[in-house]
Amino acid sequence: MSDLNVAVAEEEVTTPKAVVMNQIPAADAGVRGESPLHHVELESLAKQGPRQGGIRFKENKLLGHLTLRCNPNNAELMASAANVLGVELPQTKLTAVEAGDVSVRWIAPDEWLILVPGEKAFEMETRFRDEMNGHHSLVNSSGGSTVYELSGENVVEMLKKCTPVDLHPKEFPVGKVVSTVFAKSSAVIRRKGDTEFELVVRRSFADYIWLWIQDASREFGLVVDA
Amino acid sequence: MTQKNRLQSGGRIDRSKPLTFTYNGKKFKGFHGDTLASAMLANGIDIVSRSFKYSRPRGIVAAGAEEPNAVLQLGATEATQVPNVRATQQELFDGLVAGATNGWPNVDNDLMGYVGKVGGSMMPPGFYYKTFMYPQSLWHTYENMIRKAAGLGRSPLENDPDMYDKINQHCDVLVVGAGPAGLAAALTAARSGARVIIADEQAEFGGSLLSSKESLDGKAASAWVSDVVKELSGYEDVMLLPRSTVNGYHDHNFLTIHERRTDHIADKAPEGMVRQRLHRVRAKWVILATGAHERPLVYANNDVPGCMVANAVSTYINRYGVVPGNELVLMTTNDSGYQAALDWHDAGRKVAAIVDTRQNPQGDRVSAARQRGLNVITGSAVIEVSGSKRVTGVSIAPLSADGSRVNGSVTKMNADTVATSGGWSPVIHLSCHTGARPVWNEDVVGFLPGPTVQKQLTAGAINGSYSTSTALFEGLNAGLKALAELGMTAAEVSLPKAEEVKEGNPMTLFHIPHLKPTSKAPKQFVDYQTDVTAAGIEVACREGYESIEHVKRYTAMGFGTDQGKLGNINGMAIAAKALNQTIPETGTTIFRPNYTPVTFGAIAGRDCGELFDPKRYTAMHKWHVENGAKFEDVGQWKRPWYFPKAGESMQDALNRECLATRESVGILDASTLGKIDIQGKDAREFLGRVYTNAWAKLPVGKCRYGLMCGEDGMVFDDGVTSCLGENHFVMTTTSGGAARVYEWLELYHQTEWPEMEVYFNTVTDHWATMTISGPNSRKLLAELTDYDVSKENFGFMDWREMNVASVPARVFRISFTGELSFEINVQANYGLHVWEKLFEHGEKYNLTPYGTETMHILRAEKGFIIAGQDTDGSVHPYDLGMGWCVSPKKPFSFIGKRGMAREDCVRPDRKQLVGLKTVDPNVVLPEGAQGVFDPKAPIPMPMVGHITSSYWSACLGRSIAMGFVKGGLDKMGEKVYYPLADGRTVEAEICSPIFLDPKGERQNV
Repeated sequence: MSDLNVAVAEEEVTTPKAVVMNQIPAADAGVRGESPLHHVELESLAKQGPRQGGIRFKENKLLGHLTLRCNPNNAELMASAANVLGVELPQTKLTAVEAGDVSVRWIAPDEWLILVPGEKAFEMETRFRDEMNGHHSLVNSSGGSTVYELSGENVVEMLKKCTPVDLHPKEFPVGKVVSTVFAKSSAVIRRKGDTEFELVVRRSFADYIWLWIQDASREFGLVVDA
Repeated sequence: MTQKNRLQSGGRIDRSKPLTFTYNGKKFKGFHGDTLASAMLANGIDIVSRSFKYSRPRGIVAAGAEEPNAVLQLGATEATQVPNVRATQQELFDGLVAGATNGWPNVDNDLMGYVGKVGGSMMPPGFYYKTFMYPQSLWHTYENMIRKAAGLGRSPLENDPDMYDKINQHCDVLVVGAGPAGLAAALTAARSGARVIIADEQAEFGGSLLSSKESLDGKAASAWVSDVVKELSGYEDVMLLPRSTVNGYHDHNFLTIHERRTDHIADKAPEGMVRQRLHRVRAKWVILATGAHERPLVYANNDVPGCMVANAVSTYINRYGVVPGNELVLMTTNDSGYQAALDWHDAGRKVAAIVDTRQNPQGDRVSAARQRGLNVITGSAVIEVSGSKRVTGVSIAPLSADGSRVNGSVTKMNADTVATSGGWSPVIHLSCHTGARPVWNEDVVGFLPGPTVQKQLTAGAINGSYSTSTALFEGLNAGLKALAELGMTAAEVSLPKAEEVKEGNPMTLFHIPHLKPTSKAPKQFVDYQTDVTAAGIEVACREGYESIEHVKRYTAMGFGTDQGKLGNINGMAIAAKALNQTIPETGTTIFRPNYTPVTFGAIAGRDCGELFDPKRYTAMHKWHVENGAKFEDVGQWKRPWYFPKAGESMQDALNRECLATRESVGILDASTLGKIDIQGKDAREFLGRVYTNAWAKLPVGKCRYGLMCGEDGMVFDDGVTSCLGENHFVMTTTSGGAARVYEWLELYHQTEWPEMEVYFNTVTDHWATMTISGPNSRKLLAELTDYDVSKENFGFMDWREMNVASVPARVFRISFTGELSFEINVQANYGLHVWEKLFEHGEKYNLTPYGTETMHILRAEKGFIIAGQDTDGSVHPYDLGMGWCVSPKKPFSFIGKRGMAREDCVRPDRKQLVGLKTVDPNVVLPEGAQGVFDPKAPIPMPMVGHITSSYWSACLGRSIAMGFVKGGLDKMGEKVYYPLADGRTVEAEICSPIFLDPKGERQNV
């Protein structure tokens, strides 16, 4: 936990760096984190709800979400990022890579979304700050979004009611990622398997998207996992 | 009642599955496979509606989408009422309930008919325009009357119990229409591995093949159809959509398909099933194989029930086993029309005559008729029909060779059915949707699809290629062409061999002449649905309407729910003749989406009820709900508005919340404020360019208020931006303006100043923000943190990082209430925890939650503006008295600097924001009230500005208001008058908008 003095001290180095702050309470502080869907009580839905259905839903909550922006033509920065992540940043548009518990999604030519376990976010932020020399930004958005895992034999049919993106395997193979329209909101959609998708959704829209998915799943049967 | 017109055998109906339905309260029988229309005809129901203008009885004319008369009201219960259902497209199901949409007391005995007979002659074309235009204020009354008389059905009074949804589809090739051309195209594309969608409005695929007796490869054509359908069904990437009308063809090969999934099963969709689905298709290539509609001929009394188009007669006989009458007279201008008489004769009923307008018809079907010994009368026409509720006879007369006049004496003949064929009109509607202008083709005697900019191909009858063999051939070729364009290799497809039928040339004739001139002859209907007659079109032309678009609008031709599918071409031809022009010179009106009416349910899909629009929630929303908050919509956010306690009125709650905050401490969920993280070495300079004030010297650890203007110098957003590090800032925006500000920053960075090293990231949702405000807020905060929050260590407009309730937080000492305030920001997943801890400790300070309304009052007491409420895009900082927030001396310009220096922007008499105190302190001015300087000025009074914010201030014990007054900043102490809608005139004094603590002592403690 730094305080303002650390930030002031930054002025002394030649290239000032962004302010990094551990935003997670200490493990022994007894503070519970609440995902954007906490009010839905997915655990009890998982216990009481049906176990058979064409769609399975699971929230992958409280992860570390980091948005990196930097110039992909800056080889030094790209090398530093690869060093921190343990994997090269994907430079092919609309692709994602995974290495251990780190996954990186191409969002735009100069933007990537990195997901790590929640408790690792601060460490990774700090390493980025220490190792990236040059213009970039790394922003912690862990509280601003959550992850929905969707699977099941009817998942593509259900998602066709949610997004105008073409989900045919020829156009949307495993590993592809898009930031796109989802009902009247948006989501970062990644295909993890033939019938497995991951959505990164914004916190404030999480309930709307959950309601939409429930509704679109009605004809197939929805199984909630927790 | 028995099915008196039903044949003992034949057709595609299942006689082992009888169905019962109700029409106008009477029960009837039909069979599985019937349409409502075929079942009605089987039962001998002649009259299905009364006409729009003249209230004449009307019967079923056609067998498909082009039907103008059999437009019925469906529904067994109030909630399942569906208006405007074409009986020809509605499959029969057991228990179906239908009724005519108009006619009083009923269609069989319509009293309006007598009115119509009198009124009709007084209702020339353009009647509605001429009569109902003035006085304009009465239009609503007229409209009501017209609607009732028009018989357009009614909407249900109860909520629709069914579910409708929308689905997105993508394909290489979308084939529209599953007749021979469409099936051949789809088969070619599908066999070669393309992603194919084939849609057809009918329940079964096959199109024209379903209603003809022709053979393919020596077998029944239906056998080939089922083979193809079976093969198509086997491909993973092929989607077959029966009962699905491609209703709209939009730019970039985006098409909408209206699929009726359960309308053939029951009145209400079975549990769990979607009644109708709107497919939103993005197709790489589109093949239109939409076929053609047969054109009826226009002759006197051609609307008497029993007058039908020839092909519909064949369809009812061959597909449904129904002969819709006993004695047929067929009138035709071409060979294909003969088929109806052949089928009628083969079904064992009497063909009284075939009346061919051609002098010397020759062709296989003509010979077949003669071989059967049918009475073929050539060079003649049915010039008039007799009968009122059903055809009883016809008048036949010889025509001149060009068909323009009657050329001999009239013969009368008994008949109960008159079938006519004037040739075919290709179904070019979808091609028109994309803007293609139809092109007249003399050989086809019809309009063909015009040149297109879409990736669109056409095949079959839409091209005027009416024989099955050419349809198949063109379908195959369209499939091959699409594959080539897609870069795909075509697989081998061999076409079945169709029977070759030799045909003679058709005659170009639309309007059958009468002994009397058109204006004096009995009515010759062109458009049944809107009661447009040949005489009416001639009147329109005589009155000077030369453009076909004007003729259409003046007569209402093609304005019905059928969009004039049956009558439009006849109407154009009659207009062309009246204007002494060719048809190409006259041109045609075109069609717009939708091809056939779409239910509102399918258009709305699931975007209704709870899912109508996203509701955005903050991390503390659940607490607000549990604590009785009333909510207000701010953009899509649900923000607490106020927190009433039991028995409190809204004003009671606001008074309590305001006083508690000023006297002790209140708390506001401010999470919805837009937050943008800004990083990079040029971040500071960038801020200086987008804000009006200076940012060069803001030290790390400090916050500053900023105003943002457009290029025109007008304020569009405001907020506090804090310096986190030398190259790192966090900007806040208004709740509603977050997305716009973020886009604004990106726009200027990407287009104007790409050289600046700065990145923007939105972090609105990442931080939960709670503001504690009031004299006890410091004490409360101190209880939850180890950090020194004293005035000395944590001054006004500072921010500090500290733990609050064990959660790392950024705390900003900024104030929107004028009180000592701390804005606590924590990672949103921990927001609820911190909020609840604040309440645990806040009880002893009477910590009071407040919502947006109290926030508005508290800030108004301090004269703080709300961008979007006190600004409207037409006020610059100086108008707001906020010149202190503009720094014209910055080395680089800023957005809005030149705009606010324009001549008009520096006028001294601009409307300026001031405070307003009503002379009677108990009167709260309504927001939006317009002020005047002289309440006795004559109307229209010169208005000098409106009230933007107005509240009861419990803290001050009086009303307060802010508003614009012309030159108001120089008029302190002067009076403004507000004449209100209720007759009162409220007097108010211009004052500083800072009503409370003008020196800012309360926040600086």
